[in-house]
Parts: sequence; structure tokens; C-alpha cells
Amino acid sequence: MSVASTDNAISTGRITRAFIYLMLILFATFYLLPFGIMVLNSVKPLSEITGGNMMSLPQVFTLEPWFKAWNSAQIGVEPTGLKPYFWNSLKMVFPAVTISTVLGALNGYVLTKWRFKGDTILFGLMLFACFIPFQIVLIPMARVLGFLGIAGSTPGLVLVHVVYGLGFTTLYFRNYYQVFPTELIRAAQIDGAGFFRIFWRIMLPSSGPIIVVSVIWQFTNIWNDFLFGASFADLDSQPMTVALNNLVSSSTGVKEYNVHFAGAILAALPTLLVYIVAGRYFVRGLMAGSVKG
Amino acid sequence: MSFLKINNATKSYGSTKVLHNIDIDVQEGEFLVLVGPSGCGKSTLLNMIAGLEDITSGTIAIKGQTMNGVHPSKRNIAMVFQSYALYPNMTVGQNITFGLEMHGVAKPAREKAMSDVAEMLQIKPLLGRKPGQLSGGQRQRVAMGRALVRDPDVFLFDEPLSNLDAKLRVDMRTEIKKLHQKLGTTIVYVTHDQIEAMTLSTRIAVMNGGYVQQLGTPKEIYDNPANLFVASFMGSPSMNLVPAKVVANGDGIFAQLPTGLSDQVNLKFSNPTEALKGFDQKEIVLGIRPEAITDPEGADRKANHIEQITNRVIVTEPAGSDTYVMSSLGGKDCNARMRADAQVVAGQDVPFAINMDKAIPFDPSSEMRIA
Ligand SMILES: Nc1ncnc2c1ncn2[C@@H]1O[C@H](COP(=O)(O)OP(=O)(O)OP(=O)(O)O)[C@@H](O)[C@H]1O
Ligand SMILES: [Mg+2]
Repeated sequence: MSVASTDNAISTGRITRAFIYLMLILFATFYLLPFGIMVLNSVKPLSEITGGNMMSLPQVFTLEPWFKAWNSAQIGVEPTGLKPYFWNSLKMVFPAVTISTVLGALNGYVLTKWRFKGDTILFGLMLFACFIPFQIVLIPMARVLGFLGIAGSTPGLVLVHVVYGLGFTTLYFRNYYQVFPTELIRAAQIDGAGFFRIFWRIMLPSSGPIIVVSVIWQFTNIWNDFLFGASFADLDSQPMTVALNNLVSSSTGVKEYNVHFAGAILAALPTLLVYIVAGRYFVRGLMAGSVKG
Repeated sequence: MSFLKINNATKSYGSTKVLHNIDIDVQEGEFLVLVGPSGCGKSTLLNMIAGLEDITSGTIAIKGQTMNGVHPSKRNIAMVFQSYALYPNMTVGQNITFGLEMHGVAKPAREKAMSDVAEMLQIKPLLGRKPGQLSGGQRQRVAMGRALVRDPDVFLFDEPLSNLDAKLRVDMRTEIKKLHQKLGTTIVYVTHDQIEAMTLSTRIAVMNGGYVQQLGTPKEIYDNPANLFVASFMGSPSMNLVPAKVVANGDGIFAQLPTGLSDQVNLKFSNPTEALKGFDQKEIVLGIRPEAITDPEGADRKANHIEQITNRVIVTEPAGSDTYVMSSLGGKDCNARMRADAQVVAGQDVPFAINMDKAIPFDPSSEMRIA
């Protein structure tokens, strides 16, 4: 937990440096290529793709596939485009990420700073959650959702994702708070701050980096989830991923590859955005100077 | 009635007892230092006073009120931690006023208290900074400011200077002492540095292994250590502890021991106690502080009885203000403090003057002072 330093790179010779850059560029290209092709083909008319030239630059530039994917493409039986499902995803992702992160932070806080008998065992059990495959929880989860009367709804999906993500977020925050100086908590106790006040005023403001990690992790996982969405959502609560699948695999009419590409990029955009916006906070150490050193 | 009363307090973690029946009374305005080696339970005792650790048995009372089970924030104490424990997300000003805010003090009053304290500690220019932007000494000041602003009944310090470099430590030591003289607040201060303990305290509790070994003024502790542990722990360089045999005859009571020249010398006790007479022909440990062994010219003229012996110098260590001279006494290395310009050379036989007023006999089996 110290300030990220930029001067710890080993100084290297010119040739080595050129080699390193070459490799980096090579790998970056390798990873960016599929995405590039997707972008290229999403701005072509369908005829250019079916004409057989997927790799070439578009001869006619058009944003039509994007609008279509968003507004009017056939998803299942309705020609709604991905738009409503995009909102469904957002309505699911925001509460789920927020709740699981806050609860994970609270768990980590309690497990490290308000130790109680059996806390390590409890934490060990919570860690199991990180290793349980999705498929195993499907049936019990369906029972629980039915019992609670929120099956097939967005709140139901939020619950599923919160429960499934809690193991991870707890792990992150516990490990982060483990090295958080306990003397700070003691000082705050003497100053008269209670359990939640300490959490809110002392712990959370110093948790920037780990909050970012938790949010990125949870956002990516929940946004990209297909299995839970496909299993537990009704038509009016289906997330983007399920809709994308329906778009691509709808069997009626011609396959509009350009629309499919645009839809796939649309579905991937939010996670991309989260990485770009939050990624730089990843490394920022907010704890500098709380204690000596 | 004492201001802070620790009555028969013990602390156990499970089956391990880390503090045994601690009894300490602190009067209002006293500066009590808890000193002892690492792991002796100083911090634990301090945390019990603060309410951060619960008391296994016994009581701790402040101003006549039992504090067992009372929340730390309700004890009207303030604490300065070894790591300073400044809230990293708050500015210096916010750090200082956080406690007042939590206690519901109105903003104008908070601001006033903050500026008074900042004035006193000369940290006004730092109020807007974050702890990460401060030097070690400045952080230390801010931590003190945070404690001072509360105007507590008792200040608790847990090794507040141990993270500072040597020079700053001495400066801050003086500053804390000045502050205590000015404010007259009751202070309990933990350190493992015996010089800090001597210079700051009005009374010292020397602790070891969860027991208070001795409680007394710095002078009592230094001049009349209750046992071998206190004798060796307090003082720098530490007290010479050499085995000797007690010999009583018509002329008085003597400690008989060999010098480095392998002849026996008899050192006459100035004021032998009755108890010491009972040790006739028995082995004791004789404690003599380095400054009680000098060159004859440098000996204390007011001393009742000075023994002069000749001994061989093993090594000399000039320390600027004094020269420390090592010789062998009773089969052990014996440190003597001579004037800086005393003419001594390693390998020579030179006269040593031993101030027997300051010689303290210990019982080697019980390790207690013979008194
Ligand atoms: N939670 C705990 N469980 C068991 N033993 C403990 C616990 N906390 C402290 N101890 C033990 O209690 C003893 C006293 O610890 P304490 O922290 O009070 O020592 P200290 O005198 O402050 O030492 P230092 O100078 O190193 O700070 C130590 O032997 C330590 O191992
Ligand atoms: Mg300690």
C-alpha cells in the first residue's frame, strides 16, 4: 500500500528496448485484431460481407447496422433491438455491483477489525463461494427465488449476483483490510466513532483501490453473465447477453452479420468503458502516510 | 484519593497470563512512565486503561469512577499511538477535530480549539495537508495535537517517539516535558527506552514479564533498584553486577572479590544493613554503577567512604565528555567512568576509586536487593 512508483523500471539498452516495444506491439495487435474486424464489419453493408470479403475496409461506410442492432433488430419474436435489454442489464448491474461491494467491504471490515470467535472458519466457508461452479447453484437458487417470489424478475437476478459475488468481494476487502492499521480503528474508537462511523469515515475513504478492483470484477462478471440471465430471467428482465444470443441465433430471415457485430460490440462496450475509466485508479495507493513509512 | 487507580488488574489471553496483579496509583498531574523490555505487557496495560482491551480481573478507576466496561470514548482519555494513527483520508485539521466532531462539539468551538492547539504545537501551516505530506516529526506533532484538543483527564502515550530519528527524539522529548509542565495533565507514557523514562517521568513503573518490578521516582529506581532486573535495565551504560563474598569482622562488613590482577580486595560497605550482616561468608552480587568507579581525582568528595584499588585496564572508550574504562572485577568486565582527561592506557595498572555509598548488594538466589 504505497504510492505507485514509476522509477522502479530497470534501465535497459536501446536494442532491448526496441525488442520489448516490438513484442508489445505484436501482442497488442494480436489481441486487438478480432475487435478490429468486428468494428470493420459493423460499419459495412451486409452485401459487402456476404460478398466474401470480411477482412477488407468498408467501401460504403454506414452506421445503419448499429442503429438496427440498437433499435429494431429481431430479438426472439419482437423487433425491439437490444435497447430494452441494455436497460435491463443496467438495472441489474448497478444494484448488484453496489450491494455486493458494500456488503463485501462490511464483511472484510468485520472479519479483520471486529474479530469474533470462529471468524476464520466463517471466512473459510465464504471462500468456498469463489470455487463453486455456477451450475451447482442453479437449482437451489431457483427454489430460493421461487420461495421469495422474485423469480424471473430483475430483483431476483440482483439477488443471485449479490450472493454469488459476495465471496469474491469479501475476499478482496478482507485481504485489503488485513493490513489496514488497527491503530487507526482504535484511535477512532477513542475519538468516539462507532462501528458504522468508523467504516464510513475512516475505512471506506481509504479503500479506493480495492473498491475499484471489486467494482471492475463484479461489473465484468455480472454484465457478461449469460447462464444466470438465461436461467432466471423472464422476457421483460432478460439481460443484454441473453438478448445478444437471441439476436445472433434467431433463425428467421437472413443472418445480418453486420448487425450481429454491432450488437456484440454494444454488449461489450460498458465493460470496456469501466476498464478505461476505472483502470487508472487500480494502482493509485491512497494509503500513503497513514502510518510511518 | 488517587486520580488513576489500577487495582489488582490482571490480563489473560486464554490461558496465558500476560499481566499479573498490577497495582498502580497515579496522582493528578503525575507523569507515570511504564518501562520494560519488549513483550512485558506495557502496551497491554495502557490499552486496558484506554478501554481498548478489557480487564480480565481487578479494576481500573479514573477520578474515583470504575472504568471496567466503559467505552474508550467515554473515559475522557486521549491516546497517542506509536504509528501516530493519523486518518490518511483527512487533512491535519480534520484529524485534530474528528474527536470533537464525534462528541458533538459545534463547529465554531471546534475551529477555535483546533487553532489553539495548532498554535501551541506550531503546526498552523500544516492544517490543510494530508498526513502523507508530513515528515515524521510533523506527524508526531499532529498526533499530539489530536490528543491535546480533547482536553482529557489522562493522556496515554504508547512509545510516541520510537519512530523518530535520534536527534528529533531528544527534541520531542523536551517538548513533551515542557508541555506536561505547562498543562499539568496526568500522563501515562509507555517506552522501552530507559533514558526517556528517567528524563520525562515523575514516577516510573519498571515492568518485566507481566509484573511491575518496581514503582518509584526516577531517583529511587536509579539509586535503589529493588532487584537485579531493575538494576541492570535502568541506566546506561548499565550497572556493573559482580559476584563477591561478604566478610564481616571487627572493622566492618566487606565485599571480597578478585581484581584483574588476581589479588583479592576487600571493599568496605559504607552503611551496611542488618540484613547484609546475615550474609557473612555468603556469596552476593555487588552492584556498582559506572559513575561510582572513577579515577581518584574524579571521585565524589562528599562520599562517606571511598575504596581505592589498583586494577589493570583492559580497554578504554573515550566518549568525549567522559572516558569509560573497562577492567576485570570479580571475574567480570567492570565499566568505570573517568574524567575525559584521565590518563589511562590499556594494559596499564591504574588506581580506581570506588564510591562505596553507591554500592548495592543483591541476593543472587532471590535476585532481590539485600536491605
Ligand atoms: N491477542 C493476544 N493474544 C495472546 N497474547 C498476546 C496478545 N496480545 C499480546 N499478547 C502478549 O502479551 C504480551 C504483552 O504484549 P504487549 O504488546 O503489551 O508488550 P509491550 O510491552 O507493549 O511490548 P513492546 O515494547 O514490544 O511494544 C506479549 O508477550 C504478547 O505476546
Ligand atoms: Mg507495545
